[in-house]
Amino acid sequence: MQNKSIEVGYGSVAKVTIGDRRPLAFIGGPCAIEGRDHALKMAEAIGKICRRVGIAWIYKSCYDKDCRSSPDSFNGLGADDGLRVLADVRDNFGVPVVSDFSDPSWGPATGEVCDMVQVPAYLCRQTSILRAAALTKRPVHLKKGQFMSPWNMKNSVRKLEANGNNQILLTDRGTFFGYNMLVNDMTCFPIMARTGYPVCFDATHSVQLPTSMGNISGGQREFIPYLVRAAIACGVNALFMEVHDDPDNALSDANTVLDIQYLENILGQAKAVHEMRLGLLEKYGVDNVHPEK
Amino acid sequence: MSIQKSSAITVGEVMLPLDRFPAIAEKTILKEALEEMGRSRLGIACIVDTEKKLLGIITDGDLRRKVLKVQKPFSALLVDDALDHAIRTPLTVGPLDTLVHAVSVMEQKQIWDLPVTNEHGTLVGLLHLHRAVQELLKLQR
Repeated sequence: MQNKSIEVGYGSVAKVTIGDRRPLAFIGGPCAIEGRDHALKMAEAIGKICRRVGIAWIYKSCYDKDCRSSPDSFNGLGADDGLRVLADVRDNFGVPVVSDFSDPSWGPATGEVCDMVQVPAYLCRQTSILRAAALTKRPVHLKKGQFMSPWNMKNSVRKLEANGNNQILLTDRGTFFGYNMLVNDMTCFPIMARTGYPVCFDATHSVQLPTSMGNISGGQREFIPYLVRAAIACGVNALFMEVHDDPDNALSDANTVLDIQYLENILGQAKAVHEMRLGLLEKYGVDNVHPEK
Repeated sequence: MSIQKSSAITVGEVMLPLDRFPAIAEKTILKEALEEMGRSRLGIACIVDTEKKLLGIITDGDLRRKVLKVQKPFSALLVDDALDHAIRTPLTVGPLDTLVHAVSVMEQKQIWDLPVTNEHGTLVGLLHLHRAVQELLKLQR
């Protein structure tokens, strides 16, 4: 069952519809907002690539990275400056924007600027954050916690719905496999889709090795294309990837962000696999092998 | 027992009112449905929409069979919508049907409970076999 679509974008920006049998949508940008100039430069570069590939895009970048491993790591520009940068990205490029927020009191300001608000994976079951996200009235990008089963995400969905929000996108970013290691269970997509909401694959966080470097996270970026093709063939409605023009010097998630030089390649493949998947749906119908009794 | 007397009793006179049995919302998960059934000490829950239209029922027996059949983890089963595991077209009786008719349906189908709906399919009560037997026994005294 997957019958809902969400529309991201208010005002004059391009609207992005994410849902069943819709073209694949892309959510991407630098993990953290590093500064106005860098954000605009990245938006311009990613926008050009998305236009060439022909894929709808939502710019993602966060103003406060509240879950860094080290107390010394850069954690962002903060809400005031960061949201101003995101507003500039919207205005300059007509692209919808998304940022996460880690404190319920930041919800209203985030929702005022952003076209979609994101609930961080580590906070995906926090009632106060979910309530604040729902009350923004913006579509909510809800990431599955690395510690959560896909079916238990329904509880988080119900918290959003109970607060009047039914514009939800559910994303997998990997599941803990012991310590400092993530794996992707592809069955999480059809399971989360049973909530009736569209689903998304976060490819760059999925290759993360959480806090494997002692006080920062490692990652295996070389596996991004493999996981992208697998997840999209499995059936998702959107692809999420953090992108940077200088990954080695990225201020956040340097070991997992995708180097922008590979973005066109990956998006091109992603779009092709998604179109093939839509073709298979047309030809063979929805999956109904061993329907649940 | 007077046949005349017993055939005059209607389901509406004997049924449990809506607040005495689980009439649960469409989005109730299986875990919550089971809790409601436990609280009311009944082996049935009726699932209704916001207008109280009956959408389906789940019963102890159906759940027993389900537990043996479903292969997903128990934690996943418990968070499913109760409606996903419900009988969507359950047998029902009307409030003006005679109790004797309703009990004979229960006997024939070997069931303990019958949802009572009006002419619009709206749930108005539940006929429980114990209550029905009680009423019929009263007439015998």
